[in-house]
Amino acid sequence: MIKKFIHQFASPKTYLFQVTRAYPYIFVISILIYIISIFWGLFLTPEDFVQGNSYRIIYLHVPASFISQALYGGMAIASAIFLIWKVKLSAYLVKSIAPIGAMTTFIALISGSIWGIPTWGTWWAWDARIVSTLILFIMYLGLISLHDSFANYEKADKFLAVLVLVGSVNIPIIKMSVEWWSTLHQSASITISDKPTIDPSMLYPLFGSMIGFTGIVVCLVILSSKLHIFVREKNKSWIKDYV
Amino acid sequence: MSKFAFNSISEAFTMQSLNGQNHGLYVWSVLAIVFFTLLITFLVYKYKLKKISKKIK
Repeated sequence: MIKKFIHQFASPKTYLFQVTRAYPYIFVISILIYIISIFWGLFLTPEDFVQGNSYRIIYLHVPASFISQALYGGMAIASAIFLIWKVKLSAYLVKSIAPIGAMTTFIALISGSIWGIPTWGTWWAWDARIVSTLILFIMYLGLISLHDSFANYEKADKFLAVLVLVGSVNIPIIKMSVEWWSTLHQSASITISDKPTIDPSMLYPLFGSMIGFTGIVVCLVILSSKLHIFVREKNKSWIKDYV
Repeated sequence: MSKFAFNSISEAFTMQSLNGQNHGLYVWSVLAIVFFTLLITFLVYKYKLKKISKKIK
């Protein structure tokens, strides 16, 4: 029954038509939320007592870090679906998410390094959180190169899915690195179980920037997956009608 | 939310903190990097999609 459901709603054709319809709405709403939240965070929130105004980088750094890990989680789920139920769209999504994941991890690393200069007095430290995030970035690049190195797409999809699942061990390591090891990086300000340690006046724009950035990244994943579907399905008659 | 954290545009630009350090350079450079990275990524995908659409047609 699950297999039938997945196959019915996860054909590349259905996906393409659905996301094309949703794309403009997601794009406009996300951009608006993101701009308002960034403006709120940069100009309307009070200065931090310890970090001064450099803490405002949080509104750019945290959404990128959160999404870079969430995208890998999404790739791992899509890989499992592909390997278990052989859903073609899942394999397409794994390949499409990887470059966007690399881009968001790049933003997280660069923004973190710049934030480190006034806060820690250094742009880089061999700290567990930073190194595990760097490994995530290298993994994204490795996965993209691996898929591109195969001439046979089906083989490439299988290898990619297996490697993504193996690499997913890094995600809990990134998340827990600040708890397991003594790190320069502060521990999480927002957790599911405890009350946030960040003041509400700073917290609301942070939530807004995370929601807005997530929407923008979803739009990029839609574009990337569209491109990959075009490449893989270019000889099908429906794609000619769609274009 | 309604109160501005800075008294003037130049203060917002330099983002001088209570400890006397200017943090504007860090904040604005991160903002620029995020903006241009997103913009370039969007433009690259739009261009690639246009190119492949022409090929398919």
